[in-house]
Amino acid sequence: MSLQVESSSAATQGLDRAQLGHIRRIEALSKQLRNDWSGMESRVTAQDDFGAFRFQLAFGAWALALAHRHRLPNAPAVFKPTFERLIEKMLLPEVWLYWRDVSRGGGPFNAHLVDQLQEQWDPVARDNIMYSAYLQSMVSMYQVLFDDDRYARPNSLTLDHFSFSWGGGPHTFHYDEQSITDRIYWQMVENGYLGVACEPNCVFQVCNQPAIIGFRMHDIATGSSIAEEVVAGYERAWSDYGRLDDNGHYRILITEDTKTVVDNAHKAPHMDAWLGAMMNAWNRDFVREHYRRQVSEFLVPGDDGTLSVKTDELEFNGRPIEADGADFGWVTAWASEMGDTETLNGLLAHADRYMNPTWSDGALYYPRNDTREDADGNLTLLGPITGNILIGYARLNVPDGLWGLYNEPWDRDHFSEPLVVELGDAVDLTRADFDRGTGRLTIHAARRGGDGEDAHLDVSNVTEFELTVDGREQPELACRRDDLIRIDCPHGGGHELVLTVPSWSPR
Amino acid sequence: MTGVPRQPRFDLVDHDGRRVSEGDYRGSHVILFFGFTNCAMVCPRALARLTDVLDRLGPAADRIRPLYVTVDPERDTPAVMKEYLARTAPRFTGLTGTPEQIAAVRSAFRVFARRVEDPDAPDGYTMPHTAITYVLGPDGRFLTHVGDAVPAAEVAQRIRELLEASPTGAPAGQ
Repeated sequence: MSLQVESSSAATQGLDRAQLGHIRRIEALSKQLRNDWSGMESRVTAQDDFGAFRFQLAFGAWALALAHRHRLPNAPAVFKPTFERLIEKMLLPEVWLYWRDVSRGGGPFNAHLVDQLQEQWDPVARDNIMYSAYLQSMVSMYQVLFDDDRYARPNSLTLDHFSFSWGGGPHTFHYDEQSITDRIYWQMVENGYLGVACEPNCVFQVCNQPAIIGFRMHDIATGSSIAEEVVAGYERAWSDYGRLDDNGHYRILITEDTKTVVDNAHKAPHMDAWLGAMMNAWNRDFVREHYRRQVSEFLVPGDDGTLSVKTDELEFNGRPIEADGADFGWVTAWASEMGDTETLNGLLAHADRYMNPTWSDGALYYPRNDTREDADGNLTLLGPITGNILIGYARLNVPDGLWGLYNEPWDRDHFSEPLVVELGDAVDLTRADFDRGTGRLTIHAARRGGDGEDAHLDVSNVTEFELTVDGREQPELACRRDDLIRIDCPHGGGHELVLTVPSWSPR
Repeated sequence: MTGVPRQPRFDLVDHDGRRVSEGDYRGSHVILFFGFTNCAMVCPRALARLTDVLDRLGPAADRIRPLYVTVDPERDTPAVMKEYLARTAPRFTGLTGTPEQIAAVRSAFRVFARRVEDPDAPDGYTMPHTAITYVLGPDGRFLTHVGDAVPAAEVAQRIRELLEASPTGAPAGQ
C-alpha cells in the first residue's frame, strides 16, 4: 500500500480514543505554567539524558506533526496552539541552561579538552545539536504544517536568562528559523558533513537526524535544497567509517579530533531504534534492510502476544550511568515507522497491561516508574519521554509516517482547502479531512463539557456551503463570521459534521 | 566561528606570487572554490563546470573573478597552481599560502578539508574537501553558495540574477 493511500485511509478513519488521549496529554503538558514540569521530570539530574525536557518537547511536537499530516489533515486548530506552546517552552532557560556546564567538557570523550573548552551560554551557536537541531526542526515543521512564517521573522526566537544572584548579567540570544538553520548548516559544511557535535567533540549519529529532517522542512518552506546536499555529504563522510558496527548495530558517535568511532557495543535498543525511526525519513531502504535483524535482538516475548524490550543498565568504569534511555519507547516508535504492526501491537499491549495507563481529564499517559520489573518479572521501568510522548508518538504515527512528512509534503492547494483553523476549548475533533472530488469536509466532533463552554469550530476557505449533522441538514448551526464559517458543536456524544463546499477549487 | 561567512577575509598569495587579500577583488563579483591540484575527481569536475558557467554568462563573466584556493599548501605552490590551472581552467586564478594562512581562509569560509592517507594517491595522501562554490559581491560580502550537484545552467542563472541585482559592479581587474 502506498503512503498516500495509507495516509488517506488514516485520515478517513480519524482518531481513536487512545490517540485523542495522547494528543490531549501533549496539549496538557504544553499548558502547564512556566517552569511547571510536573510529570516530565526524569530520574536523571540536570537535563542530562535522553528523557530531558528538550526531547519531550521536540518529539511531542513531532508526534503532533505526524498526527496532523496523516490523521487529521484539515484541523490545524487541534495542533497549532499546542505546537506554539511547545516551542515557547523549548526557549525556557530550564531547557537549555545545561549547556553552560556541558560546554566545558569533562566527559569520557572530551575530558582531554577541558583546558581548551570554555563555558558557553548560547545553546545554538556551536555544537549542542542535541538542542539546536530539535528547536530548528520544531520551528521549520511548524512553518511547513501551518503555512505560517512567524518563526522565520528576524529575532522571533529569543533565549533569555537573567539571575539577580549569579551569572554575570543577562544572557540573551536572538534567533529565527533561518539563522538557526544557517548555524547548523555551516557547522555541517565545516565538519565535512560528518555531523555537528552534541557534547563538545562528540558527533552522535542520532542527533544529526533531526538536523537533516529540519533542513528538509526548511527546504519545503523556502524552496532551498540544503537537505539534499547535506544527505549526499553525510553519506560520503560516514562511508569512511561505516554506519553500522561489527555487530550490525548503528554506531553511536565519532569524536571530532581523533575520529574514534564508538560502537553500540552494549546493543542498547534505544540507539538503534531512535536512529532508525528518524533515519527512515531519508534513508528508508537502508533502515528497512537492517530493521528485522536489529529489532529481533531487543524484543522479549510475553504472554498473549505482548512484547517487551531488553533494557540493561549501562555502566562506566564500574559505576552505573543514570539515564532514561527510553528503550521501550523508542522501539515502539520505531516499529510504528516501520509499519511492523505485530511488534507495535505487542509492545502497546505490554504497555497497557504492565505500565499503568492513566487517564486524566481526557489525556492518556503512562506515569513514570523507576522500578525495573514487577513481581513477575515484567518490565515496568518507564521514563517520562516514553510515558508522555513516545507511546503516543507510536500510536499517532502511520507506517512510513516520518518518511511521508519528509518526502510527500502537502501541495500548496492543501492550504486553500476548508480547514478548521480555530477551535473552542470544549470540543474534541477526531476526524477532519477534505475530499477534493466531492468538496466535502468531514468532521467528527464531540463536546468536552456541558452548556456554556466554548465548543465552536471556525472553518476557513469556504464560500457557499451546505452543512449536515449526522446526516441531517442543519444550516442553523453555522454562521459566517468574517472570512470564516463558525459552527457550534451540538451537545450529546460525537457528531459527524459534513460541510459541503460545491464551488471549491484549487487557488 | 560558526554561521554564515558574511564578510570573509583572507591573506594569501596568488599563482603569480603576489600577496593578495579579499580587498584586491573589490569591485568585482568573486566565485571561489576550494580544492587541491592532486584532486582526482571533485576539482576537475568542479572547475570544468564552473568554466562552463562562465562561458554561459558570456560578456557578463568579465565582471567575475574566479578564484581557486588550495587546501593543500604543502604541495600547491604558486608555480604548481599556475601550471595546473593553465592546463585545466585558465580563467581561474590560483591562491595559496602558508599552512596558517590556509587554515585561516578555511575557517573564514567554514571549509572542511582533511588529510587522508591513500597509498594509491600521489605522495600517498589525498584531501577530501568542501565542494561548494562561494559567490561574493563587489563589496566582498558573501552573497550565496551553490553545491556541486547544481547543474551549470542553474548556477549561471543564479549568478546572472546576482549580477543584474548589482549592475554597478566594475569590470574585473579594475
